[in-house]
Parts: sequence; C-alpha cells; structure tokens
Amino acid sequence: MSTKASAIGQPSPWVLPAAVTLVLISFLAAVFLGIVDVPARDVLSALTGSGSPEARSIIFDIRLPRIVTGILAGVQFALAGLLLQTITRNPLADPSLMGVSQGATLTVTMFLLFTVYLANPNSHSVNELPIAWLPPAGMVGGMFAGGIIYLLALRLDLSPLRITLCGIAVGAVMHALAIGLIAGWGSARIEIILEWMSGSLYARTWDHALFLLPFTVVGLAMLPLIYRPLILLRFDATVARSFGLSYRRQFSLVLLVSCALAASAVGAVGPIVFVGLIVPHLARFLAGRHFPLVLPLTIVLGAVIVTLGDLIGRLAGGAEEVPIGVVTALMGVPVLLALLRKIP
Amino acid sequence: MPLSCSQLSVNYGRRRALHGFSLAMEKGEIRALIGPNGSGKSTALQALAGLVKASEGRADIGGVAVASMSRKVIAKKLSFLPQQPAAPDEMTVAQLVRQGRFPHVGLFRSYDRRDEEAIEWALESTGLAGLADRTLQELSGGERQRAWISAALAQEAAILLLDEPTSFLDIGYQVEVLDLVHRLSRERGVTIIMAIHDINQAISASDRISLLEKGELRFDGEPKALAESGLIEKTFRVKGRFVEVAPDKPPHFDVELTKLPPSNS
Repeated sequence: MSTKASAIGQPSPWVLPAAVTLVLISFLAAVFLGIVDVPARDVLSALTGSGSPEARSIIFDIRLPRIVTGILAGVQFALAGLLLQTITRNPLADPSLMGVSQGATLTVTMFLLFTVYLANPNSHSVNELPIAWLPPAGMVGGMFAGGIIYLLALRLDLSPLRITLCGIAVGAVMHALAIGLIAGWGSARIEIILEWMSGSLYARTWDHALFLLPFTVVGLAMLPLIYRPLILLRFDATVARSFGLSYRRQFSLVLLVSCALAASAVGAVGPIVFVGLIVPHLARFLAGRHFPLVLPLTIVLGAVIVTLGDLIGRLAGGAEEVPIGVVTALMGVPVLLALLRKIP
Repeated sequence: MPLSCSQLSVNYGRRRALHGFSLAMEKGEIRALIGPNGSGKSTALQALAGLVKASEGRADIGGVAVASMSRKVIAKKLSFLPQQPAAPDEMTVAQLVRQGRFPHVGLFRSYDRRDEEAIEWALESTGLAGLADRTLQELSGGERQRAWISAALAQEAAILLLDEPTSFLDIGYQVEVLDLVHRLSRERGVTIIMAIHDINQAISASDRISLLEKGELRFDGEPKALAESGLIEKTFRVKGRFVEVAPDKPPHFDVELTKLPPSNS
C-alpha cells in the first residue's frame, strides 16, 4: 500500500496560506492606494478612529465599501463560475456565457426605462434615477434567465452540452432585447446603463456590500452541503447516479446556488466578465491534482483578482477611472490563453 | 432473491430496446449476459440498476421495487459499472475509488476506518494499491478499467452489475477480472451479472447465461444447455462448433473465421 496520506490528496502546504496572504496584501494595497493621495499615516489614524474627517470619509465612505463590495462580488463570481463549470462539465461555462449577466442587463434596462422614463419624461434628470434599486432589479433578471435555462434543461433532460447551448441562446436573446431598448431610447441615462454594463465598482456604498453579504454568506454556507455532490457531478449522470447521487436534485440545487451568486453579484456591480471564467481555471491550475484545494483557492482568488483589478483600474485611469470589468477582460485574455496552452 | 426482474421493457423514443426481459438471480450467482451489438445488454443492466425507466415490468432488489428506492439506497445494495465511463482526467485513482463510498458516507459523515478499509481492499483486489496516487490520465486503458472496477467494489454492494468489464483489457487482465468476479461470488456471496462479448469466457466464467437478441430474451440457462441449443450460431450469424475441453467442464465454441459455408472438399 502506498503512502495513505497522499492517497487522500494532501494539499501542498504553502498554496493556501500564500493565497490568503495575497488577499491581505491586495486588501491593504487597495485601502492605502487611490486617486486621492491620502498619506499612509492618515490612513492608519483614520482606521484607528482618529485622523481628519476628510481622510476618514475617503477611507470609510469611499474606499472600504468599494473594496468590500468588490471582494464579495469577486468571491461570488468566481464561485458561480466554478459551480457552473462543474455541473455543465464545460470549461467555458461562466455567468456571462450562461445568460445570467444578460438577463440582469435586460431587467436593469427595463427597470430604468419604465420607472424613470415613464414616470418622468424629462430624460435629463439623472439625479432622480433610482440607482439603489439596480442590484435587486438585475438580480431578478439574472435569476429569471437561470430559471429559463433550468426549465429548458429539464425538458432536454439536463444534458450538459445542451444546458450550455441553452444558456448562450437565452443570453443572446436577452442581450439583443436590452441593446434594442437602449438604442430606441436615447438619453442621458445611457451613461448609467453603460457604466453598469461594463462592470464597475465606482461609487459603490455599504448598501451594495450589505446587499451582497447575505448571498455570499448563504452561498459559502451551502458549500459543505454540496461539496461531495460537486465531485460526483463531474462524472456522467449514469456514473454519478450509480454512486448513489440524486443527480437531478443535486444538479438543480447547484445550479440554483450558482445563479443566485452570479445574479446578485451582477446586480450589484454589473457583469464583471472573465472572473467567473478565469478564476476557477487558475485555481485548478494551482491545485493540480489536489482538488480539495480548488474550492478554497477559487474563493480566495476571486477576492484577490477583483480587488487588484479594481485598484489597477482606479490608479491607471487617473480621474477617469477604468471600470473593473474592462480591467479583468484585458487581464483575463492573456491568462486564458496561457491556461489554454495546458489543455491538449 | 437478491435480484430479479419480470417482463421488463424499455423504449428509447420509438425504438424498443428491451422487450419483456425477465431474470431471477440466486445469491452469489454469476450471470453472463450475451448477445450481438445492440441486442439490449446495456439497456437490461441499466434497467436493473434503475438508471433507465422501464415502460413495462419491474426490477426488484431483495423483493423491493428498484423504482421505489432512492439512488442512495440502490447504491448501497447494487453497484453498476457502465461501459467506458468518463471521469475528470486530473482525478487520481484513490479519489475515484473514494467516490464508491458516497452512498455510505452521504453528504457529511467523515470517512471512518471501515470506509478506509473498504477503499484499501478495493484497490488491492484490483492490483492498484501501488497506483493509487496516479491520475486517471496517466493510466493505461487496462489500468483505468481496473480503477473503475475498484470504485464499484468500494461500494461493497451485494449485487454487482458489470457492463463489458473485460473490454480493452489484454488477456492477462481479462483473466484477472474474471478471477476476481469468481472470488467475489464464491468468497463473499456477491451476486454478479455481467454483459460480455467473449462467448467462451461467458461459458466458462458464469453459472448461468442469458442470451439477448433484438431486445428479447432468447435463452436463459446453464452454459452447457446453451452449447446444445445451437442458438449461438443462429443469433450471431456465424459458423462454428462446440469442442469439449475437459470432461467436467462446459465445451468451448470454436468459430470459423468466415461466414461462408465451407466448400465441399
């Protein structure tokens, strides 16, 4: 009998601590660095409760809520991507591919159109836009798209390739509808839609973080429950069922969890593309054959990538910051290409 | 009776894959399921395992209808090894075999000594203890096949369904698998039914044989009786004859490597 410990898949001891350290470093960097140059000493005193009101306001009202929202959204996107890739057994699955993002875009567009335009024909009064309602509005659309995919997949008997194709089709239709609405609409509000669609952490408040928090907490709390089914869902349905898995029930549960995670995150920060796609690949690459590591690494890297991506976007653009969605898309492509070289 | 079915029919769309299939297995019996390609062997096994829905008839495990049991309950009593199963390439042999314990540990219970022993036994029975840490990608076709058999064994079910367990194995491992099947049946009382292509292996390794053709049962009985029935030549559309190899053993089928009738020389 070979070494029993390694047969179970003991993780390399340094990977996870290193990743957690990276979270702390990126978090601190994001707190200390920004467009407004707050000296490190002022940041520290603001964090300890003293310091100038100006510094405190920058740290507590602008940077921290933004960073926390980003971390929560990053964890949710990455986790949603991993779950979708697992149950569809498709390495390209991702909330943007599966129609969740497009569904959210459509409802956000419709929401802005109906609540504002119909109630208030003066299309230039940006001030009155109910921005606080955008996250739940987007969430509804994302879940709606997920529901359509679920129903279609059920009818087609949950074949993984078909559910992916359904997702793409549903997403394309919803995206086209949203673009059609925007094109036929034309007003100052387009800016808000465009900003939201590019995936942005700009002007995110504690309200956004509080909106996301329950989803993140419940999503993470579900993980022990779906951990073993997730391993079995990577097999053919026949194999998974012979191993004793209620395939349909577990598949549906995981799909529901991933849609809720993705839809709420899209609602709060817009579709930050590529996080859901890239992070699970990166986690798998780092974990190698120690797949118990994939899940924690996905969570940690999701937080890191969004925090760092947003920091880069904040610093790179100067006063006109680059939205995080654009940064992750630009950073994601080379990473994706590099990882693809590993796939035969 | 550990495993039985009566008048089982399965349709795939409009195609009838299995029609009125019946079977009754004794405890510890080895049953070979033979028949041409597309004769319904895999469908019969999947219907017995409750993996496809029967349009008529029923399958029973220990007298209880399979259709009424949860996957978990079925998996504790019956393990099924499909033909050419697929697994994630980066999964190791040990990780695959551990999945066989899922019906026992469920969602939360941690693996105890009992589970680890079952896994160890499954790996050793298939000669894979030394390869436990390899990924499935790194294995040869035969080793991968044995890894799957090992995962099925780790389930420790009293009934074992194997869909062509010897395909892709060289003759050495084919004999090893058949030997393992024999030991499981005689030493542990495991009831085994396997779909198999090699008629001589079916004849010499099984207690009884079921012969399927176009989804229908053509024969159910002992190997010797099958040899005397003349059904092999008819069902498989080949010429051949049964040759006695030893007085106390069933004869072997010697096939002619042409379908044409022999010339009158």
